[in-house]
Amino acid sequence: MTERLPLRRPSRGRWVGGVCVGLAAHLGLPVVTVRLVMILLTPFGGAGVLLYVWFWVAVPAGDPAQVAAETRPAALSRLAPRLREPGRRVPLTDIGVGLLLLVAAGLLIAVRAGVEIDYSWVVPTLILVGGAGLAWSQLDAVERGRWLSRAGGRTPVSVLRLLGGIVLTGLGVLLLVGQDAPLEALARSAVAALAVLVGAALVLAPWWLRLVNELGDERAARARESERADIAAHLHDSVLQTLALIRARSDDPDAVSRYARAQERELRAWLYDDRTTPGTSLAAELKDVVAEVEDTRGAAIETVVVGDCVPDLATEALLQATREALINAVVHGRPPVSLYLEVAAERIEVFVRDRGEGFDLAEVPADRFGVRESIIGRVRRRGGTATVQNKPGRGTEVHLCVPTTEQEGEPR
Amino acid sequence: MTTDVDVVLVDDHLMFRAGVRASLDASVHVVGEADDVDAAITLVRALQPPVVVLDVHLPGGMGGGGAEVITACADLLSTTRFLALSVSDAAEDVVAVIRAGARGYVTKAITGPDLSDAVRRVAGGDAVFSPRLAGFVLDAFGTAAGDVATGDDELDRLSAREREVMRLIARGYSYREVATELFISIKTVETHVSAVLRKLQLSSRHELTRWAAARRLL
Repeated sequence: MTERLPLRRPSRGRWVGGVCVGLAAHLGLPVVTVRLVMILLTPFGGAGVLLYVWFWVAVPAGDPAQVAAETRPAALSRLAPRLREPGRRVPLTDIGVGLLLLVAAGLLIAVRAGVEIDYSWVVPTLILVGGAGLAWSQLDAVERGRWLSRAGGRTPVSVLRLLGGIVLTGLGVLLLVGQDAPLEALARSAVAALAVLVGAALVLAPWWLRLVNELGDERAARARESERADIAAHLHDSVLQTLALIRARSDDPDAVSRYARAQERELRAWLYDDRTTPGTSLAAELKDVVAEVEDTRGAAIETVVVGDCVPDLATEALLQATREALINAVVHGRPPVSLYLEVAAERIEVFVRDRGEGFDLAEVPADRFGVRESIIGRVRRRGGTATVQNKPGRGTEVHLCVPTTEQEGEPR
Repeated sequence: MTTDVDVVLVDDHLMFRAGVRASLDASVHVVGEADDVDAAITLVRALQPPVVVLDVHLPGGMGGGGAEVITACADLLSTTRFLALSVSDAAEDVVAVIRAGARGYVTKAITGPDLSDAVRRVAGGDAVFSPRLAGFVLDAFGTAAGDVATGDDELDRLSAREREVMRLIARGYSYREVATELFISIKTVETHVSAVLRKLQLSSRHELTRWAAARRLL
């Protein structure tokens, strides 16, 4: 592979923040080497730790391979995302760090209360760093949550952790600055600091709001862009292919009109119809039947559907009879062929009409199984009626009607 | 025998306009063409033709498409009739142009002679319903047996006769065939269809208002 994976901090295989794993994946080096370099750099003025913290803050979390897949053009990528590897259930590192911080905070308060430990400025520093770390890691958990679900990752737990981090950081800063001051003075200065913070927040709020809005706009623009890519991919797969096919077969008018009709129907379904779950819509199943007849016989059928219902055994028979009637109309009748389905409370009706000369039912030979058995017999066995109307100069119309099955517990 | 009719053709596809012009009868004269909302409004106001054939989806203007053109020319509706011509199957598109004031709706699959016929019918003040529009009407007004209008002034329900006419049109019957089937005159069929069109435009049935609201027409 010539292309480098983007720099991300994966959640798999991490020890602390996933920086080393991510770097290793990005640079194509073994993880052990990267970790060793980090540790070896640490004695030189803490360069290793500083570098680590800087990467932790600057590099977003995520699976490098997945990010690489997402940045590829939509037309080239798989439609279904790969199954995500289950992440760690219990955030062991976070819990460990949290406990450590709690112990440190306890220690500190004990020192304040009078217990003599001479580490009075090392401990606050530790707490400060730890608290800031927790808050930062929280920020990126929020971001991760946004990637995973559209809900936004604002769980009570994440808010709690963010607050905890902020409180700890504040505590650390206070204790570090006012090392020798009495508790009372400390409390007073805390209030003063809080007031300053609120003032600063008031000043910065409009700027921050604008930033948030811009972020929202950008996200909307990205959504539009991805929709456009989606449409382009669809057009590429369907319409352009069909056009190429039509050009190749331009000497065969039947094939051309069949391709055009099939493509039109597919595009229409894609643009205007809500996708229905299979087995829940009689209208959708009827459209499938019409599509099949149009494709195999190369004729256009004007379809109008009023109402819809959940298919059952009776509508199954009705659909099969409709299919036979449509084939009959396309093969023996004359276009245009019209199909009308109406679902009412007590019955479901189908009309299939063509403009041909028609046929007299009495004159249909007994061996012509088509009309007699597959249309009329089928519907009658389900308690329905089937009639063929045939008027000179006005075409033939097959009328099929089945009663709807009673809904349980719903008297009609 | 047939009277000549002038039409303005509004569609954003040059090829489609050329196709329509070629397929229309000799008695239907295309006096002007426009390809977006603003040009259409200007042209219709300047020419004031008896019939405007327009697509539902048009670029320009405020994005309202054909319905926006009709709304902008609302004061001309007594002399200029609009016939919507669209590939769209979406109910809200159809309902939007009809409620804006169009006198009919036909799909682009219509044949040349049928379209010429529809233009003349609209010019004569009648309504033109395609089977699909009739299907929408039945869907919106309901097909339940008890849901029948009792008076002429009732806007939210169809009368039994109007529903019969709509069902026949949805089944692919022409006006003439509907008249023969129901043993009434073509004029009576036209009256019924016009009444249905009026109800479609004025009714406050919630299915219709929902469709209209989807296009921000209310």
